Amino acid sequence: MNISHEYSVSEAYDELLEPGGQPRCAARALFHYLNTLQPGELEARRQSVDAAIMTMGITFTVYSEAGNIDRAWPFDIIPRVMAKTEWMRIEEGLKQRLTALNLFINDLYNEQRIVKDGVFPLEVIAGSRNFRQQCVGITPRFGVWAHISGTDLVRDKDGTVYVLEDNLRVPSGVSYMLENRQLTKRLFPEVFEVCNVLPVDDYPVQLYDTLAALSPRDDERPVVAVLTPGIYNSAYFEHSYLAQRMGAFLVEGSDLMVDADDRVYMKTVSGPRRVDVIYRRIDDDFLDPEVFRPDSALGVPGLMRAWRNGKVGIANAPGSGVADDKVVYAYVPKIIRYYLDQDPIIPNVPSYLCMAEKERGYVLANLDKLVVKPANESGGYGMIIGPRASPEERAAFADLIRANPRNYMAQPTLSISTAPTLTGDCLAPRHLDLRPFVLQSSRLHATTGGLTRVALKAGSLVVNSSQGGGSKDTWIVDTEDSCYPA
Amino acid sequence: MLSRVAENLYWMARYLERAENTARLINTTTDVLLDLPRDASFGWDILLKLVGLDEFFEEHYREANESNILHFLIQDERNPSAIVSCIRRARENSRTFREILPKEFWERVNGLHLYVQGLASRAAQNRAQRYEVLNQIVERNQSLAGLLISCMSHDLVYEFIRLGRNIERADMTTRIVDINAAVLLPRKGSSLEPLQERLWMSVLEALSAYQMYRRHVDVHVSGHAVLNYLLLDQHFPRTVCHCLSEIEECLATLPNNTEVMKVTRRAWRRLKGLRWEGLASAVLHEYLDQVQADLGAIHVAVSNQYFYFYMRQKEATPPVRVVNE
Repeated sequence: MNISHEYSVSEAYDELLEPGGQPRCAARALFHYLNTLQPGELEARRQSVDAAIMTMGITFTVYSEAGNIDRAWPFDIIPRVMAKTEWMRIEEGLKQRLTALNLFINDLYNEQRIVKDGVFPLEVIAGSRNFRQQCVGITPRFGVWAHISGTDLVRDKDGTVYVLEDNLRVPSGVSYMLENRQLTKRLFPEVFEVCNVLPVDDYPVQLYDTLAALSPRDDERPVVAVLTPGIYNSAYFEHSYLAQRMGAFLVEGSDLMVDADDRVYMKTVSGPRRVDVIYRRIDDDFLDPEVFRPDSALGVPGLMRAWRNGKVGIANAPGSGVADDKVVYAYVPKIIRYYLDQDPIIPNVPSYLCMAEKERGYVLANLDKLVVKPANESGGYGMIIGPRASPEERAAFADLIRANPRNYMAQPTLSISTAPTLTGDCLAPRHLDLRPFVLQSSRLHATTGGLTRVALKAGSLVVNSSQGGGSKDTWIVDTEDSCYPA
Repeated sequence: MLSRVAENLYWMARYLERAENTARLINTTTDVLLDLPRDASFGWDILLKLVGLDEFFEEHYREANESNILHFLIQDERNPSAIVSCIRRARENSRTFREILPKEFWERVNGLHLYVQGLASRAAQNRAQRYEVLNQIVERNQSLAGLLISCMSHDLVYEFIRLGRNIERADMTTRIVDINAAVLLPRKGSSLEPLQERLWMSVLEALSAYQMYRRHVDVHVSGHAVLNYLLLDQHFPRTVCHCLSEIEECLATLPNNTEVMKVTRRAWRRLKGLRWEGLASAVLHEYLDQVQADLGAIHVAVSNQYFYFYMRQKEATPPVRVVNE
């Protein structure tokens, strides 16, 4: 096939091709390889990889379908390529951002210096669903709250990479990042070999080390458990996968109990066994019925007590979601400057906070140009893409904003970048984002690249798997500066 | 190991074994049918009684004919012991402990699930394809068992799987032996004796035991010899006696096993005490019921000791039909 002829680059920035139809430097080997393939071959490989996904049972769960609850993971076979030089700058930016965010969370639950210094308004915390009064006064080990985070990045028309949002509660997707790599290695071994793609496989070990560092018992090999809501959770595959790859226990709330000594135990066939660190994948609300929602059957009564008294490490720490708030997001550049005295390396998308009167006025007047998001939803729910909505939908949304301005923020609709994606037997541009994961406890670690999510429908900007998005392998390619003549 | 995981492992093994044995049972029955004289009468409904599902069937179907019964036993998801249900549940269970079994196990269970989803209706509706599909189910189950024997640590995880497999297997062996009661032969006629022999032969074949029987017992196939063999032989892996010793071996490796061992030894003594020669088929049926009840008692003891011990607040109801309740 001849990509340059068959693939029409859209107006957006394309990750693989330059505007003239030539490959970007890091993607040259992949481009030439794809050009050698006979028509029909990509489709044939796609079919074989789909079959592999089915038998390997790489799935995500959809709540609404009774009987068959898990669906095959939608995977696009054409990798997304990024040069190592560019990636290193992004990695620096992510580490900077997450360091600052953790300092911020710890400050919020303790001295609140940033509020006292007038940099961050108190009313934002007051209106935050995810600020947990129960966590006030606590400083977890290393001062870190969000040990595992997933940051969504997008690239605009001019090539600038922006942070679209932070996910600090229970971000998902890293298991698919790892599985995508396995699938791609099987699919394109020839090109993989010549491309100098940096590996991603060390994530489970890094995660284990990050978690193990939280153990209250210093001298023993700690018992680490992944706490899942169970097989009906949409990310159950991932919970199980990570437990497996770390050699950790996969537990549900009912498997744990907290004794009078505030220690956490698992119920095993031979009796209670102490748990040192819990990687929880349950929302705060359901974590401990003694402290949060009393009707929660997913949690463990007494868990907060155990954590507060230093008898167990919890990642991510309860309360870390306070920085997940999309209103807090708008303050992150200020937060970075405040705590680190540095300029942010990766910019935020310009944002308008509806709680500020002037900005709200602008948002209401320009709804047809903006994307408006609720402060605390995830998965793309509850938002409106102004330019694509009908006047009636915009009017209805304007009422929502007026009724609860604290809950909304708005951003200009970016023309987010595309990459060639297999549709039928040809390649077509589809919009995508990138979710790298950052680990932090005794030290910082970022995944190499991350999970690329792609909107499979033409023109769509929605990349969430729960809403019809798919994913690609992400190649960080070491070009050894061959693309950059001295 | 977590109590919940132990329970899921145990049930997964039971579901898989139940699916395999149901497939064996149906294949044999179909096979026997071809050899019967025209005046012999055979009730497919006896299959339902054998697996203890006759009442449940009657709630959902009007007529107990071949097509309804096979639909019910193979692909009716309302029936928790139907082959598709067993395999689906085994797969769902596997999802809860993927992290502790070899990766290939999950892939094969998943493959089996997809296979059965795709072909169950053919097996239920079409006699010609039935054998092939059911046989595949048996073979794939064997490959799963083989994978565990040769590619995983024989630790507690393995023991709970083995425990579930052997309790279910022993139970199903008693039920397959009972298939003979399903056939009412004509009282007179010269063809009676070879036919009896043919029926017992098919029981052996259902358990892949014919060759071993011939080697270790006799070329001739007679009722009490087959019964003795399938219930009491120490060496053939599908006999009740062999399953009981496997169960005992498993239990010996588990912690706090006093109570469960006691129940198992009781079952053992009772099995040894039964005499099978010259039994009328009604009495035979009762004897087999007794064995099934003893296996049920082992199940209850295991559940109480290992699955519900630390979850007293959780009501002790097992997820599906317990044998012989």
